[in-house]
Amino acid sequence: MRKAFDTLGHYLDVTGQEIKMAFMTMIEYPSNIAGWFISNPLQFIMGFAIIKFVVESFGEINGWNYGQLAFLYGLSVISHALSMIFFVQGWFMGWYVIEGDFDRYLTRPLGVMYQFFFTNINIFGLTDLVPGIMVFIYGCMKSGIQVSVMFVFQVIIMLIGATLIRGGIYILLGSTSFHTRSAVDFGQYTQEIMDKTTMYPLSMYPESLQFILTYLIPIGWVSYYPVSSLLGIENGLSGGMTTALITLAVGLLLMCLAGAYFRSGLKKYESAGN
Amino acid sequence: MIDVNKLCKDYIIKRKGAGLSGALKGLVSRNTDTIHAVKDLSFHIDEGEIVGFIGPNGAGKSTTIKMMSGILTPTSGSVLIDGEDITKHRKEVVRNIGVVFGQRTQLNWDLRLGETFELLKHIYRIPQNDFDNTLNVMDDILGIKELIDKPVRQMSLGQRVKGDLVASMLHSPKVLFLDEPTIGLDVSAKYSLRKFIKEINEVRKTTIVLTTHDLGDIRELCERLIIINHGTMIEDGNLKEITDRIAPYKTLVAEFYDEKAPTHDRCELISREGNVARYRFNKSDITAADIISDLSSIKPLKDVSIEEAGIDDIIKIAYGR
Repeated sequence: MRKAFDTLGHYLDVTGQEIKMAFMTMIEYPSNIAGWFISNPLQFIMGFAIIKFVVESFGEINGWNYGQLAFLYGLSVISHALSMIFFVQGWFMGWYVIEGDFDRYLTRPLGVMYQFFFTNINIFGLTDLVPGIMVFIYGCMKSGIQVSVMFVFQVIIMLIGATLIRGGIYILLGSTSFHTRSAVDFGQYTQEIMDKTTMYPLSMYPESLQFILTYLIPIGWVSYYPVSSLLGIENGLSGGMTTALITLAVGLLLMCLAGAYFRSGLKKYESAGN
Repeated sequence: MIDVNKLCKDYIIKRKGAGLSGALKGLVSRNTDTIHAVKDLSFHIDEGEIVGFIGPNGAGKSTTIKMMSGILTPTSGSVLIDGEDITKHRKEVVRNIGVVFGQRTQLNWDLRLGETFELLKHIYRIPQNDFDNTLNVMDDILGIKELIDKPVRQMSLGQRVKGDLVASMLHSPKVLFLDEPTIGLDVSAKYSLRKFIKEINEVRKTTIVLTTHDLGDIRELCERLIIINHGTMIEDGNLKEITDRIAPYKTLVAEFYDEKAPTHDRCELISREGNVARYRFNKSDITAADIISDLSSIKPLKDVSIEEAGIDDIIKIAYGR
């Protein structure tokens, strides 16, 4: 037990240092900061503007009104932003594999997956967080939600679960590079699919697609199921807390799977010849 | 300190035919070749040794050193460092090792060198006192403190390698693995790197395993050589021992006044260029003095010199087998 706490303390200490260094790296290239701070939030504000336009033209999407859609969109962007901060490197794992960049993680006395994601922690992901939170708060107000401690707690659990699901998917896709020995940038595809499936109600898609996105690729759990439970929209599941916990469970399960697949890939890691 | 037992590493490579049709067939066929990069390698390294791994390109040197440092998973066999299996207990065992690969860096490219050191201090949980001490020692040997505030991306290759060496020594590892550390370095950078290796070996009793193609590294550093080719060990011993065994000869270079160099029945005339002839003789058969007196009794000699079998000869012979 004491050893576990000691280990945790050690990892937190290293994480602090990694974050400090990530900030220093960011400051090293100030022109990038300006670019990211403008283009990233803009991207999501535009996305939201489209939803607003659609709803104003058609009234609602599949029974979801404007406020509820804003709530869904906001939470989806928040979990997207969190996954960008912690797990975006999964998109580029192939490059690290063929360049032999895992060598240095393997020769240091910490978990390889931890080092891979935290040495490359993406502080710029914060720029996605801002529009997410803005739209989410706007959605809360529009859909007349009464914010209680329980509600906040549910949102947090659900966000952790959703972030883990996204991260797990990035890791699973990225880890294929260990087996294929090629670098494919999955980012673009994943991003497209994630955007289209998490920012709108899943119920608007055909049932076969809903089935796939619920059981096979559990993207439905990133936002649709937990959010509809939070809002009290019928989705075949009971209360908000249960759904939030299921979301967390799906996230943890996917992470475990991703971790196992990553480790099996690491055994096949060939470094880079010299 | 290091025990390598029956170490093997296979790579599976897809067999590909020529041209577009070959490429298309490659998509569906499951024809694969197994490459035995390292075959059944076993040896033991004691604490405080400096061991040079040499062999031609593709001999399996890097593969071996990468398995020894926990980067590659062996197909079979094991590597024990201080009695612990590095494949099974990677996180614990790598605390005792430092790794520098000449062609890559563990330094943070964008920040000053000191930041990487700071991160390593946290990763290895190095007490501030030890950290400062090590840095002082490293400063004496390599003059690292004048580099510590320099961003890594602005460093020359020599400076970067210095930075990497210090980074790998901060946690005072028992074993240091160096994969072609002097590659691409200029004469003075090579000199300080060798000085560094010798000093940490003497002062800190660090065991050092290095691969190199540089004859100077071998001559100046390696008390013991392990020569590998095609993934198997072909020689293991110190330089003199190996030389006596596989190249126990010297070469007498004799210059005459004309092109008609005489032969000698107890040594071999290996080349004749102009007035200069080269005779190879076995150290145990005959002395150079005897040959000189025999030759000069036949023909007047203008000049003589004697060449020992060089490291490059030994390597050529060893690689050629």
